[in-house]
Amino acid sequence: MATLSRLKRWDTPFSPDMTDEEVQRLLEVKEIAEIDRDKFPVSTPLEGILKNDARTVRYEAGDIVIREGDYGNSAFLILSGDLRVVLSPGLPDEMLGRKKIRKKSFFEALSQLWKKSIIPEVRDTERYKDRSLRKTSDSGVAQVFLQDVPAVLDSNKTAVLHPGALFGELAALGRLPRTSSVFAETAATVLEIRWQGLRELRKFDEGWRSAIDKRYRENALNAYLSATELFSHLDDTKLQAVADSALFETHGKFDWHVTYNQMKDMDNASVIKEEPVIAREGDYPDGLLMIRAGFARVSVQKGNGRQTLTYLKAGDYYGDDELYRAWKGENNVTLKVTITALGYVDVLRVPSFSIEEHLFAHWEDKNKTDFEPSKANLFDQTLADGALREWAVQERFINGTQTMMIDLDRCVRCDDCVRACSDTHQGNPRFIRHGKTFDHWMVANACMHCADPVCMIGCPTGAIHRDLSGGMVIINDDTCIGCETCANSCPYSNIRMAEIRDVDGRPVVDPENQKPIIKATKCDLCAGQRTGPACVFACPQAAVKRVDFREAFSGAFEES
Amino acid sequence: MIRLWIYILLAVLFFVFIGFWTRQAEKFLAEPILISGWALFASVAFLALFSVRKRLPFLSLAPASRWFMLHTIGGFLALSLFWLHMGSLWPKGLGDEIMAGLFYGVTVSGIIGLFLEKLYPHYLTRSGVECIYERIPNEIAEIRSMAEDVVLECARETGSDTLGQHYLETLHWFFQRPRFFVNHAFIGQSAQHWVRHQCQILERYLDEKERGYLKQIFALADYKRKVDFHYTAQSILKGWLLIHLPISIGVVALTFWHIVIVHVYYI
Repeated sequence: MATLSRLKRWDTPFSPDMTDEEVQRLLEVKEIAEIDRDKFPVSTPLEGILKNDARTVRYEAGDIVIREGDYGNSAFLILSGDLRVVLSPGLPDEMLGRKKIRKKSFFEALSQLWKKSIIPEVRDTERYKDRSLRKTSDSGVAQVFLQDVPAVLDSNKTAVLHPGALFGELAALGRLPRTSSVFAETAATVLEIRWQGLRELRKFDEGWRSAIDKRYRENALNAYLSATELFSHLDDTKLQAVADSALFETHGKFDWHVTYNQMKDMDNASVIKEEPVIAREGDYPDGLLMIRAGFARVSVQKGNGRQTLTYLKAGDYYGDDELYRAWKGENNVTLKVTITALGYVDVLRVPSFSIEEHLFAHWEDKNKTDFEPSKANLFDQTLADGALREWAVQERFINGTQTMMIDLDRCVRCDDCVRACSDTHQGNPRFIRHGKTFDHWMVANACMHCADPVCMIGCPTGAIHRDLSGGMVIINDDTCIGCETCANSCPYSNIRMAEIRDVDGRPVVDPENQKPIIKATKCDLCAGQRTGPACVFACPQAAVKRVDFREAFSGAFEES
Repeated sequence: MIRLWIYILLAVLFFVFIGFWTRQAEKFLAEPILISGWALFASVAFLALFSVRKRLPFLSLAPASRWFMLHTIGGFLALSLFWLHMGSLWPKGLGDEIMAGLFYGVTVSGIIGLFLEKLYPHYLTRSGVECIYERIPNEIAEIRSMAEDVVLECARETGSDTLGQHYLETLHWFFQRPRFFVNHAFIGQSAQHWVRHQCQILERYLDEKERGYLKQIFALADYKRKVDFHYTAQSILKGWLLIHLPISIGVVALTFWHIVIVHVYYI
């Protein structure tokens, strides 16, 4: 029998360069010295968190530390030097190492007919020479830097962050895009704490918890609550009361794609058993569950398995029906469903007393009953009705906002979609007309432009980013360093590394080690093309569709 | 669906208009044949444009699905105009007969192609497997290799060569390359029957352990049968264009020649 030591949480530290001496030095930093080390369990000591979940990073003046719109899983504590946060207006995309999308003119589009090379993945390597990248002194990883800091200071409103300042924690804990960019004004050393460590610090240290929660309540929670339809009627005072009573919870693992890949071969029942429970069927409802980020499964016991009734995504909520009926005096009202985390989910639990005071009283005034039917028909569906949803949830296709669906009953396998993609992307298609199938639908191996884009976490240069205007996830070829982080993170294997060639068709290699230069490539929804996604446009049978998976359940793409 | 009916209505109206115009031209002793001829030429030229559109996926020239719809309706319109132009089903004179032959060829191949494109996808989906056409030879080679591994393991583990012999005598032929092409083309069940039969006739000579291996061979053969169907259907779906396109090029070329001849010698 083969044996294997059980893998432990800290088998893979954040940085292999963190030494015990470095940890001792960090323990003397004021913000860390104030932490009560005795509150931490023996299995998760503060020293262990610093050694395994944190790393020190040095930045030169002008280096960009975080970019507005990026998804990151780290918070930062400034140890020395000054950083600047850009408040308004935000830095332009080109300065952040991103691609500016511009639609081609008719003649530019037409010129692709004769400009396209017969050799795939040809790049004009000259253009990489003016890139805003430099290698950091300690890690050797390329960073984007600002070339003209004074100009930024002149034209943007900024604020200085001094040593001791903590930033980036809300985006890291909430799995939300960064709200502003931060760059080094002087040479600076920063302690970067990954999400897991930050979670432990918040959990075991009262000081960090209250600081993080206070900032969240002040900066983000009110805005979030007022944006939801449920609380839009509340004035600032009442909204603040709801915000003060709300509890923050995170369930599942931030890097859910790793466990998802490990569980791919497990059966559905076993997968559901492994999912962290947020609320259990039969329990008394204690508050309204609001999903801030990630996805949650809503299921009921069915035979020897569980039937997925629906799923909740950011902005959705559950529990209002049960709470309302209990408030109206109905006895023994319990939750009719179990809610579990699909990967990672960030939940706000608004206690029942707060809901009763600020929501149900308002509903009574308005005689509002329209919330009831929306949940009632959940329980009417047959197994066949929900089969597609069950499959989509199991395969996590619910994450996609532009999933490439092929109607196999229409598709004549002519590959016109593949050819069109190739013609519009340097002679190399950005997807494979193959993938998982359900009934007569195939989800092809094409980037789904996920709601929770795990591919973006960890990109050292921010080359892969979400276009803030169109919402699609795109890669800036100029700043992609070919590190494969995104390709390895994508749970659906929809990012491919391509070896590039120069304009003469010769393979481009790194002169230091003669290894080929590779770039991450994936579907960009034909950003810049006049047609939109060429695959959809080129299909003579109208078999290819790009869909938000929610539409699947409303029958929107069945009819088209 | 509404769009389809609108296009059909427009095509009918166009045909009625051309028909009415030619009648009027006849009444006033003009050249009705020129009217129907140029209308036919316009419709043939429009049909040919679909092929050009396919090569320009980066231009916003309406989705290919709309072009395909118009191409299909335009094909039937061209056939109607062709009959109107000739005044009969078959012309006289060798040159015109060749042209008519090609025109009927392209029409019939188009209609058959349209029928196949509606028929095969459904059956391909129901086969339960999906294959990329270019990878089918590799897939078959992999299946064959797996089948041979099973046969060798059976011989090694049971010490009996019954399954191995039968494999060499019959099943090897099946696993060699795509089979039952014609039968698959007509959605026949011959391959399924043949595989089942070959396994059944062997079963009585095997012990329980060998039957386990035979089951594995049967599963692989059944999978191979589905891959074979994909090979057949996808070959036909790609292949009919190799008939339709060259003939249509011939039609377009002869149309130009016909126009020149008519204008030089007839008018």
